[in-house]
Amino acid sequence: MLILLAGIFLLHIASIVLLLVATIDNSWWVTEQTATDLWGTWVYQNGNWNLTNVVTNSQEYLQAVQATSVLACIFAILGLFVFIAQLFTLQKGQRFIFSGVFQFLACLCIMIAASIYTDIFHKTDRGQYGYCFILAWIAFCLTLISSIIYFVLRKKVK
Amino acid sequence: MLAFLALASIALVGIAPQCQAIVIYTGWERHALVGSDVRLSCSFFSWRWTSEDVTFSWSYRPDGSRDSISIFHFTGGAPYVDNKGPFRDRLEFVGNPSRRDGSILIKNLDFNDNGTFTCDAKNPPDIVGRPSSVRLLVFENLPVQAGVITGAIIGAVLGLLVLIVVIYYLMRFLVARRVFNLSVSKHGKKGKGKEGSQQRQPRRTPPFSFLSS
Repeated sequence: MLILLAGIFLLHIASIVLLLVATIDNSWWVTEQTATDLWGTWVYQNGNWNLTNVVTNSQEYLQAVQATSVLACIFAILGLFVFIAQLFTLQKGQRFIFSGVFQFLACLCIMIAASIYTDIFHKTDRGQYGYCFILAWIAFCLTLISSIIYFVLRKKVK
Repeated sequence: MLAFLALASIALVGIAPQCQAIVIYTGWERHALVGSDVRLSCSFFSWRWTSEDVTFSWSYRPDGSRDSISIFHFTGGAPYVDNKGPFRDRLEFVGNPSRRDGSILIKNLDFNDNGTFTCDAKNPPDIVGRPSSVRLLVFENLPVQAGVITGAIIGAVLGLLVLIVVIYYLMRFLVARRVFNLSVSKHGKKGKGKEGSQQRQPRRTPPFSFLSS
C-alpha cells in the first residue's frame, strides 16, 4: 500500500513539474531562429538569443492561454497540499474527493489552455510545435489519470 | 531699519528665482483611436496671481520630424486656433485661462497626427519656465494592455474558488448550529429558519408524532 501511495504521489508531482515547465518556458512554437509563446519570443540573432514581446493578432487569446495555464499550475499545487492534508484528516473508507476535484480543475484548465492554443495560433505559420506544447498535453493526461485515481481511491479501512 | 528689511526681501526674491519659475503640467502620453477626439490638457503652477496677460501656446512636432509648428496661441484674453496648418477646423480651445487651464481639443484624429505636442504657458511677470510635452499615439484599435485579461481570468477563478469554499464551510457551520438548536429544544420543533427555535413557521409535523400522541 505504501508503494501505491508513493506512486500516486509521484504521479501528482510529475504532473506539477510538467505543468510548471510548460507554463514558464517560452517554447510552444519553434522555428529555426525563434522559440515563442506564452510570455515572450526568443530570437536567435548574431549568435545571441534575445527576448522580445510576442507579436500576434490575438492578444486576448494569448492572455487567456496564459491565465488558464497559470491556473492549472495553481490548482495542481493546491491539490498536492490538499491530498497531504486529506491523508491525515480523512475518515477511513472515505474517498479523496477534494484532491480529486483540484486535480480535475487543473486538468480542465490545461485542456482549455492547450485547446485554445491549438485552435487559434500558428494556423498558417511555418515551423513546428515546441516541447512546452507537448508537455502541456501530456500534463493534461497525467492530471486526468490522477484525478480519476483520487475519485476512485478509498482510505484504507484498517 | 525698514529700508534694510525692504532690501533683504528684494535680495531674497532676487536670489531665489528657482522657486519663482512657472511649472507647466501636461500629460506624458495620450492614446486615442482613429477618428475620435482627444483632449490635451495643460495647466501651470505659479507663485503669482493669474495675470490678465496670461498666455498659452501649443506647438506640434510630427513623429520623425525635427521642426515644430505652432498651432494654438492664447493671448490678450482671446484664443487663436490653427487656420492654415494640419489642424485647421479640427482644433478647439476648451480651457479656462482664469483657472490656469489651457487645454485644447483635437477632433477626428488621423494617423498623421502622431507626434509631440508642447504647451508653453506664461504668467507675466512669471515667465521663466520649461515648456512641457505630451506625446500623442493614434491607434486603429486600442491594444489590450499586457496582462489585464490574464490577471482578470486568474483573479475571477480564484475568487470564485474562495467563495465556494467559504460558502461550503458556512453551510456546514450553520447546519451544525441548527443541530445544536434542535438538541436544545425538546419538543421536536423543526423550524426552518436559521435563527433557531424562536420562529413559529408552518412546518411539517414529524411523522412519529402521530405515533406518540
